Amino acid sequence: MNAAKHDHRPDSVTVRFAFTPAAAYVRAARLVAADVASHAGVATGLLDEVRQAVGEACTRAVLRHRDSDIDDLVRVEFSIGDRFVAKITDNARDLRAKSESRLAPAGYRSDARANDHDAIEEDTLSEEITLIVLGGLVEDLVVTGPDGERGTTVTMSWPLPGRASGSDH
Amino acid sequence: MRGTTSDGAPEPELGLSLSTAGAWTVIAVSGEIDMYTVERLREAIRQLIGEGRTQVAIDLTPTEFCDSTGLGLLIGARRRLADAGGALVVVCANTRIRKLLDMTGLDKVLDVREAVPSE
Repeated sequence: MNAAKHDHRPDSVTVRFAFTPAAAYVRAARLVAADVASHAGVATGLLDEVRQAVGEACTRAVLRHRDSDIDDLVRVEFSIGDRFVAKITDNARDLRAKSESRLAPAGYRSDARANDHDAIEEDTLSEEITLIVLGGLVEDLVVTGPDGERGTTVTMSWPLPGRASGSDH
Repeated sequence: MRGTTSDGAPEPELGLSLSTAGAWTVIAVSGEIDMYTVERLREAIRQLIGEGRTQVAIDLTPTEFCDSTGLGLLIGARRRLADAGGALVVVCANTRIRKLLDMTGLDKVLDVREAVPSE
């Protein structure tokens, strides 16, 4: 009886955390993603894809926070139900205004790397490339926002063997 | 050499190994290229350009992981080396990273080869 109790698995599981928008923590986020996906039962052949995709989404979130000069936490949520769902949420609002600031002279930025033109240019490229990579990598990908209240949320999901195959979040 | 975190766990590290193949300076990259480690590779390329070594091959075959930050660096390195009168070759016999280059269309923009150039 006790064994049956211990073996009980809830229908839905959530793992949620947040991290300071710094490059050092993106690796931790992608490793947790692969680990949680593995526990959820995502096919072994898809774990690299999960790791890469969550890493890309977290990188994008950190770049967006850096671009907006905000220190708010990047939020990450994994849920296990019919599918394995990963949501990465940034808090950088008002993308259009920020696009203009990107074109402003480097001195406009309060970023510590404001004089590092190469890094800024490559970061800008990288933010655009993240979406290209995510679009090519993840079959079920939805990016929402930003609006006046919120930043963007990248939602991605992968099938779980033996579960319903619907992709509703 | 790998550093360690406060709890003694190894930190992710980018390993850069420089060699020469004919006119090319080859940077073999091991470990993980992401936004945390990419600065080391960026600095290595800057240093080579400063020394006038502008024919550079970046060998991603031993690279364990590369994200879009690494791809952005390749684009920037190609431009900076071309501006300095040189060229960039990306060596990649690594299927995972090759897939990223193909997916983003960078295989058409960058000079991607299976092996280190011999001359």
